[in-house]
Amino acid sequence: MTGPADHFSTIPAAVSLRGLTKRFGDRIAVGGLDLTVRAGELYALLGPNGAGKTTTLRMVAGLLPADEGTIEVFGIDARRDPIAAKRITAWLPDEPMLYDKLDPLEYLEFVAGLWSVAPEIAEERAVALLHTLGLWEHRFERCESFSRGMKQKVALAGALIHDPNLLMLDEPLTGLDAAIARQVKDLLMERVRAGAAIVLTTHILDVAERLADRIGIIHDGRLIAEGTLAELRQLAGQNHSTLEDVFLELTGQGPAGQGPAAQPTAIDA
Amino acid sequence: MRRDFTRFFTPGSFGWLIAQDLRLSLRRLQGMFGALKPRTASLILLAALIAFHGLAWPVAHWLGEDGDQRLFYPSLAAGVLFVLFWLVSQSLTGATRALYTRGDLDLLLASPLPPTHILGARAIAIAAEAMGAVAILVLPIANMNVLVNGWRWLTIYPTLLAGGLFATAIGIALALALIRLFGPRRTRVVSQVVATCVGAAFVLSLQVLNLFPEETRENIIAAIERSEPGLFNRHGLLWLPVRAAAGDLQALIFWFALAVGLFALTCLIMGRAFTTSAVQSAGLGAARTKPRAIRFRAQRGRILRHKEWRLIARDPWLLSQLLLQVIYTLPVALIIWRSLGTQSAAAVSVAPAIVVIASQLSASLAWITISSEDAPEFLASAPVTRAEIEWRKLEAVALPLGLFLALPLIGLAFVSPSAALWAVVFAICAASSTALLNLWHPMPGRRAMVMRRHSQSKLIGMMEHLLSLLWAVAMVLTGLGSVFACLPIGLALAVLWFNRPSRATA
Repeated sequence: MTGPADHFSTIPAAVSLRGLTKRFGDRIAVGGLDLTVRAGELYALLGPNGAGKTTTLRMVAGLLPADEGTIEVFGIDARRDPIAAKRITAWLPDEPMLYDKLDPLEYLEFVAGLWSVAPEIAEERAVALLHTLGLWEHRFERCESFSRGMKQKVALAGALIHDPNLLMLDEPLTGLDAAIARQVKDLLMERVRAGAAIVLTTHILDVAERLADRIGIIHDGRLIAEGTLAELRQLAGQNHSTLEDVFLELTGQGPAGQGPAAQPTAIDA
Repeated sequence: MRRDFTRFFTPGSFGWLIAQDLRLSLRRLQGMFGALKPRTASLILLAALIAFHGLAWPVAHWLGEDGDQRLFYPSLAAGVLFVLFWLVSQSLTGATRALYTRGDLDLLLASPLPPTHILGARAIAIAAEAMGAVAILVLPIANMNVLVNGWRWLTIYPTLLAGGLFATAIGIALALALIRLFGPRRTRVVSQVVATCVGAAFVLSLQVLNLFPEETRENIIAAIERSEPGLFNRHGLLWLPVRAAAGDLQALIFWFALAVGLFALTCLIMGRAFTTSAVQSAGLGAARTKPRAIRFRAQRGRILRHKEWRLIARDPWLLSQLLLQVIYTLPVALIIWRSLGTQSAAAVSVAPAIVVIASQLSASLAWITISSEDAPEFLASAPVTRAEIEWRKLEAVALPLGLFLALPLIGLAFVSPSAALWAVVFAICAASSTALLNLWHPMPGRRAMVMRRHSQSKLIGMMEHLLSLLWAVAMVLTGLGSVFACLPIGLALAVLWFNRPSRATA
């Protein structure tokens, strides 16, 4: 019997991290992380606060230099040629990074310009994204008056306008109302079906449970478990439990918590 | 008695609210010193106070018997007016901040506290902050005058206190009037610009007065002396604070009563208007840009420059602060020009002023575009090299700088073409060097901090001013045809060399 994990192992890697390490002084934020995400896969990276999720994503996005290890994005060595890797990557942080004095259209024009998207293609995509994300009516309003959720949507539109092959999203659904969250999820799934790879971090375990093809659990900068939800359940010995139970069990925060799993356990590896 | 006193400070009482607002003011003051420890900040304040006392010593002698007694009252009046203008400017800024800053104001407005109490407590805090800003310069003059000219100068203390209350009443009334006039959306910016202009107005009017011939100035002073008893006469109502500051006890009592009365009346009458305006300012809708057809541009460099220009142009307060740098510098140049009186003097008066403006504006604009970038991580995640982004930002600085300087340079070219040519050369050198300094040593901060950006690095601030000065001196010496112009040029280049990035990061 072949599970989704086996299916993905035959597809070329969108992101390949080998021995990725980052230290802040004496503290190891990410320690020798090995991780592979395939094209057309939505990978959820879970972990308690301070586990190293955002640090990992920031290193892949080229915002933080890695101390050791390799980062490959669709075969490009991102440490050696960051510009080439950035060209096909989008990074969406948990706090939207916008220009308050610009309106959504001007922001999208700016992003499209940075990624050198042809104007006519960018205009078409901008219109479609603004409609999909419910921003069309607000296209001439400056971002300074937007709520956090609205800002998050503008930032997401910016991340999608250059049609990236790899999307790295840090808590993308935070601050979004239920209807827009559903639209965003549909939009992400559409990208995945089109062959993009998505790595997202979330504290909403339900999102990971419903959307992710595979889930990685990171703790103290190490990947302690990885696989589909069924595989993680099996690993935690809780066949009928929710992802929350499995997550708490594996990170040692559950009722019977004995600390996180001692050895990295990747079921599909 | 003691019971009455403690009741004044019971939670929810007016006294308790005042204490709460004063505590917040103190926190804001501490915040101005950044990460400095309270002890270090106190030592800095103490050192500044000692220095100001030293500077006030000759002023005290000049105001005493050593000085020209004919100029005593005009000079004191100028000082008092300067302080009052300054206090009104500070109070207007404080009142606007009180109206627009949410946080605890929402909590107070939702509480059952009466509006007069809310405004009263906030007004006292505004007055305290305004007086605190002014006191550091004014009180050393009072203290030195007490030492040199006698105890009567202690009246400056209550005069300043009354001035603070008087100015706060005007500041609050002005802020509320602006909201009525311009609406809550525009008032924030309008009030910031008005506050800046009020602060600058008196300094500028003094400079304008200086441009008049000596005879005209003498006539103005004589006209005030000769005027009929009434408002403008030295014994009239308008001179109350001046006479109070000079030690006239009767005038002090009247001035104090007037200020306290106006302050109390403002809080009583405008309490409801204040809370209504605060609620209005909280419910502001979105600011809109001009509806237009969707037409994206292709060129990356153009897009990067346009973004910077849009962000600057859409921030009127920022523009007003930049303009102020020009306004403050030009009168000095005009005075030098007037005192020298010849056309060739333009090279040693107006031209160096243009060089100083170029370097200061360039530094401010470079800081705004580089250090005050709203989304630095987003730019870092884009497939563009850091060098290209920085280069585009510097390009973006050049256009507004050119626009600012074009008019005075054209004017100078009519008077002295050679001076204008040299001014262009040195302005480019000065602007490039301060922009590079900001590029090499970014000091991240919000745009609103543009005028306080040096609080993060006093050393860079000093270097910036030093470069301005060196290029301006080089301009003067070149204008005079002196070979010694090489000296400041060499020094400016040396300053840049020692601040180059490799050394800074080493």
